[in-house]
Amino acid sequence: MNKILLIIEREYLSRVKKKSFIIMTLLAPIIIAGFYGLIIYFSIQGVNGTFTKIAVVNENKTLTEKLVPTKNTGYVYVNTPLTQLKSSLKKTNYDYILYIPDFKLDNPTGIQVLGSKQAGLSLSSRISDDIEELIRNQKLKQSGISQADLEKLKSSVDISVKKIGEGGTDEDSSAGASTIIAYVAGILMFMFIMLYGIQVMRGVIEEKTSRIIEVIISSVKPFQLMMGKIIGIALVGLTQFILWILLTTTISAVAVKVFVSEKDLKQNEMVQVGAKKASQVASSTSGPMAGIQKSLTNLPVGKIVVVFLFFFIGGYLFYSALYAAIGSAVDSETETQQFMMPVMMPLFLGYALSLSVVTNDPYGNIAFWLSMIPFTSPIAMMVRLPYGVPDWQLALSMGLLVVGFIGTVWVASKIYRVGILMYGKKTSLKEMVKWFTYKN
Amino acid sequence: MLSVKNIVKQYANHRALNDVSLEVERGKIFGLLGPNGAGKTSLIRIITQITAPDSGEVTINGQRLNVDHISQIGYLPEERGLYKKMEIGEQVMYLARLKGLSSQEATKRLKYWFEKLEMQTWWNKKVEDLSKGMQQKVQFVATVLHKPELIILDEPFSGFDPVNADIIKNEILELNKQGATFIFSTHRMESVEELCDNIALIHKSKKILDGSVTDIKSTYRNNTYWLEYDGEYDPGNATSIFDVLELKKVLGKTIIKVQLRPQQTANQVLMALLPHVAITRLDEVIPTMNDIFIDKVKNVS
Repeated sequence: MNKILLIIEREYLSRVKKKSFIIMTLLAPIIIAGFYGLIIYFSIQGVNGTFTKIAVVNENKTLTEKLVPTKNTGYVYVNTPLTQLKSSLKKTNYDYILYIPDFKLDNPTGIQVLGSKQAGLSLSSRISDDIEELIRNQKLKQSGISQADLEKLKSSVDISVKKIGEGGTDEDSSAGASTIIAYVAGILMFMFIMLYGIQVMRGVIEEKTSRIIEVIISSVKPFQLMMGKIIGIALVGLTQFILWILLTTTISAVAVKVFVSEKDLKQNEMVQVGAKKASQVASSTSGPMAGIQKSLTNLPVGKIVVVFLFFFIGGYLFYSALYAAIGSAVDSETETQQFMMPVMMPLFLGYALSLSVVTNDPYGNIAFWLSMIPFTSPIAMMVRLPYGVPDWQLALSMGLLVVGFIGTVWVASKIYRVGILMYGKKTSLKEMVKWFTYKN
Repeated sequence: MLSVKNIVKQYANHRALNDVSLEVERGKIFGLLGPNGAGKTSLIRIITQITAPDSGEVTINGQRLNVDHISQIGYLPEERGLYKKMEIGEQVMYLARLKGLSSQEATKRLKYWFEKLEMQTWWNKKVEDLSKGMQQKVQFVATVLHKPELIILDEPFSGFDPVNADIIKNEILELNKQGATFIFSTHRMESVEELCDNIALIHKSKKILDGSVTDIKSTYRNNTYWLEYDGEYDPGNATSIFDVLELKKVLGKTIIKVQLRPQQTANQVLMALLPHVAITRLDEVIPTMNDIFIDKVKNVS
């Protein structure tokens, strides 16, 4: 036990002290925060940058409805004649002139957008959309529908999904919230297994190729070495993840304070300049979002966190034992490809199936089995959990994962024992089988 | 101290060790010899408990080999290496602590060894920055640091320059004087003659020769002598006493290698030649371990 601690210490410290670890730990949050910053920046920039002020010269008598300014196209109706406006456009602060000639509503032709620059595709399609709606509204009005009725036509639907609990009581839940949790948990687990499971494999190969293994193996048991390595690297991974989360949130928070606040104000101005339409859009989207927030608070967060941690760590341990076995069965990293496939497949499969089959039918047979088999259960169970899983199934799945982990470690440490000393030789299956039956 | 009895080790396609037995006495330096692929490393791995034999038994001080013995054995494998990215000091500390030393004790002993072998400045260096010979010195220190009773060295001198090889050789002798038993596997026969008390020769998975170096050498004496003289004499006249194996003339001297006929002695050779020539040298040809090794290995195959 003491030796395992020693190995954990080495595996942990030697990795955490590496320059590449420190650089990645510091850099990744900056990159992530940077991405967020860029996205926010460009979305604000996008709004600002594409704001075009358009002078509307309306010569159409039947079109009494007016174009409504939006947050990126400001329509202003002017009374100046077209020819005069054309010659003096550069002196005004209008970007374009929209010329609406007199036409019959059934045959709108001759509409022109004039400017010193040619209007872009998105601008011209936006304008034509706006005019189409304008004409539609005009026609509806002509057929006797009031403005109030017109407003009523717009609707936004928010379905609230409820599960009937044991006693017939409603339990709030939201498919949206569940899916988000499933996605996030699945991605985290997938990333963790990929990033750090592979480090376990590399560590084993490194010991093999640097030939230190024989010295180590004459001091400790392969099982101790493998456990130490897996746990040590898991701690490295957790450290890095926690630091990433902390740093990303701090950097983002600071960045939001520093950069976004004034832009936000500008954006708010824009929205105020823009008309009701924009605010209507905003309020209609806030509906479902609020619903998700509400149902998030209704989910058993404590239980989800505990189960997540269990499957997160359990899944990592299970897979890294497999990676350790691969590492010991091959000579170099280039040789790992053929063994990687069979190990990666269940993980990919688990992820893909969890997000398609399980989210569609969280109580079905496939979902049940996916969440029981240790290869896929860490991800599948996380996806199922927000939909509600009976406790016995949860317990069974956890139990199977633990049994699966111990079994894999046992098999892997056998392979490890044979493989680790086989340099230059291809490990034969017969030899491996012999080692399985070998008693210490 | 160490006794190996009837060890058999079978791999998938070949038998690495076939009924090998040997005894290593306490306080001696034991040479484990054999051509490449003879099974030396397999035997060493069994003694160090890296692998286990299919049948047979290894005992240390009368006890069957068990986990407790690990701390009493120091092993320097032929395929040796260090963690490339770790600093030397950290690395040796780690290896020492894996052997069960407290960090305090390990630091103390490391200081002693680093000073003794003039390696103090290496403490914070990374393995990648050291030459192969320097790395081997570090590995040697890691092997002997926990004061094992039994030290197993697999080709300890390969990669060393003559100066460092000599330093290591002296350290081995000194540790031996302090009571450590050595098993020492090598192809370099001159180091066997310098260091080993006893040897075992393994060839094609079997032990084909063992015993003390002096005994083995004397049994391989075959009454052959170098003889050097001034003057004209045809050694062919004395064929009743010896056979001439070689004859050459260097700077007016005649040098011959002769093998005595049965029941003849060196005195009789001298008596036959003294009346005719001035003898300047007579010495017995004692076979080197190298000759014995080659002779034995060739005869078996």
